[in-house]
Amino acid sequence: MADVNSKTPDSATNGTPVPTVPLKNRYLAAFLAYLVPGLGHAYQGRYGKAVLYAVCIGFLFTVGMILGDGKILYWRWVNPMVEAERFCFWYFAQFFAGLAALPALIQATLTHYGMPTILWGYGADPSVDMLNGPYPRFGKLVEIGYIYTEVAGLLNLLAIFDAFEGPALRETAHEQASTDQPAPTPAEPAPAVEVSA
Amino acid sequence: MILRDIHVYWYVIPLVIAVSLVYSATRHESWRRIFGHAFRLCGMIFGVLLLATAFLLLVNSQI
Repeated sequence: MADVNSKTPDSATNGTPVPTVPLKNRYLAAFLAYLVPGLGHAYQGRYGKAVLYAVCIGFLFTVGMILGDGKILYWRWVNPMVEAERFCFWYFAQFFAGLAALPALIQATLTHYGMPTILWGYGADPSVDMLNGPYPRFGKLVEIGYIYTEVAGLLNLLAIFDAFEGPALRETAHEQASTDQPAPTPAEPAPAVEVSA
Repeated sequence: MILRDIHVYWYVIPLVIAVSLVYSATRHESWRRIFGHAFRLCGMIFGVLLLATAFLLLVNSQI
């Protein structure tokens, strides 16, 4: 029976040791990875990856927000079949950037119910003037800001899967042996690999 | 602001590097493989971008 807290399927192929990926509580890790890029991996003890995700995703999101003057992150509760031009499709990608993108959802909900916005309007639906404000200063770079924040969210989605399931490609025992150490002689037939739930 | 003075084309470099690193990190666990994969992916993306740019410039110069 495979251990649900670690992923070592390839280590079972011929007895060659492959580094264990400590997933711990994978649901909590995925949730933490969603909240803050890299936090789920830090929880799992994969600090190197945590730093890599935090730096790469955080950099893209931060630079994107700067280019958009903080006005490119918002959500509107509108029916896309009725008001397609006001529907924020791009927020589906930005949403996965985590806590930094979550206020947009909260602000839109507050606005929808006629309540005042919080957090000094961060993530609130900007007026047309505010929305067009960054363009004279940044020009087409505002569009780059949209792209950066969207890609940051999509990359964090990959990172969430990595926290939940471990790396997609695990080194086969043969590859591991050829790169790291001499291959030992298989002592017994390989057991079947179970996919843990 | 310094970001405003950077030409839009330069913004593709950190984007491609970040995408390559994060994608590779989700595929592998060993750093050697992550950086190797990221390097190859970076080269492939930049290669495709350069080819597409060269093709478009060629087409543009013939019109």
